[in-house]
Amino acid sequence: MVFDRALVRQHRTSSAAQFGDYAYLHARALDDLLDRVCLITRDFETCLIMGAGPALADALDHHDARAKMKHIITADLSEARLRGSPYPSLCLDEERLPLGEARFDLIISVLHLHWTNDPVGALIQMNYALKPDSFFASALLGGKTLHELRHALHATDEAQGRAQARRISPFADTMDFAQLLSRAGFNMPVSDIDRVNVRFGNAFSLMRDLRGMGETNALIERPREVPSRDYFLEASARYHDQFGHEDGKIPATFEIIHGAAWAPHPDQPKPKRPGSAKVSLAEALGTQEISAGDKAG
Amino acid sequence: MNETTTKPAAKDLDPKLLEVLVCPVTRETLDYDRASQELISRGAKLAYPIREGVPIMLPEEARELED
Repeated sequence: MVFDRALVRQHRTSSAAQFGDYAYLHARALDDLLDRVCLITRDFETCLIMGAGPALADALDHHDARAKMKHIITADLSEARLRGSPYPSLCLDEERLPLGEARFDLIISVLHLHWTNDPVGALIQMNYALKPDSFFASALLGGKTLHELRHALHATDEAQGRAQARRISPFADTMDFAQLLSRAGFNMPVSDIDRVNVRFGNAFSLMRDLRGMGETNALIERPREVPSRDYFLEASARYHDQFGHEDGKIPATFEIIHGAAWAPHPDQPKPKRPGSAKVSLAEALGTQEISAGDKAG
Repeated sequence: MNETTTKPAAKDLDPKLLEVLVCPVTRETLDYDRASQELISRGAKLAYPIREGVPIMLPEEARELED
């Protein structure tokens, strides 16, 4: 166990009231996920949107994908994030999904899976809740997200002779989302990365936004004492020194990792069995086959 | 977990939710208790609360049922 799930829930609850003001990354991720849904020439009867409550209802309602989605259910780890949702909603834990087998035609998951202790386990449960040949699209934070802030805090810990504390949650490094999806039993997985650079006045306004999103540290092994204001002032200064722009702003990187795949169905295209080809590669390429002397086992 | 506040006329549970939900502990279907606004899992002996029409499907938030 890496993440304190009760604390993740608490962060989502305490940020719920003002989440709409800080939901810009979530809105961007949802918009991209819905773009993917638009590319599919089919409508979806029962749809689940996880991690995106009423704060993102506008983004959803104004998207072309909305017309393809008949019944929408929204879900979140914190019911506060669902308050006022125009859709039927439920509070759930991604690590113990309360969803029956083959209930959904579409699941969209918006920036919440990076807080699960076992993302593959959560994906397996979502796959189970999908009908065969249903679509799944998810975005989560990963890789180099907040690497500048992490660097500034580590440098401050080091300069002040402290042990390097884990003040920022780790985001899975160089994660191959497509591989996770295929481990969870999905077919035809694809993944790509949306690297977002947000500019802030200083490290304090970055921290304010992270709190507003409910994305602050929820590690079980997090430092329990709150460091002094001086500590943060030094970290902020180091952030500016190392990464600051000439106009005095600082950049913060967010890596939104997207993944999409299909719940398996026998009629989906599959790779052919090795050796089942009727035409040799040389023939297909219109060239001469040159034997390397090996024989296929 | 013993709230005794009288709730205002509770928003009825959306039937679509009842279709998709199972108990996260036993994975069995749930009984909807309209009067108490709870979803009952007989196997897990848990009653999941429904607050403002939103089922809270977390075992730690559920009321334990007696035998």
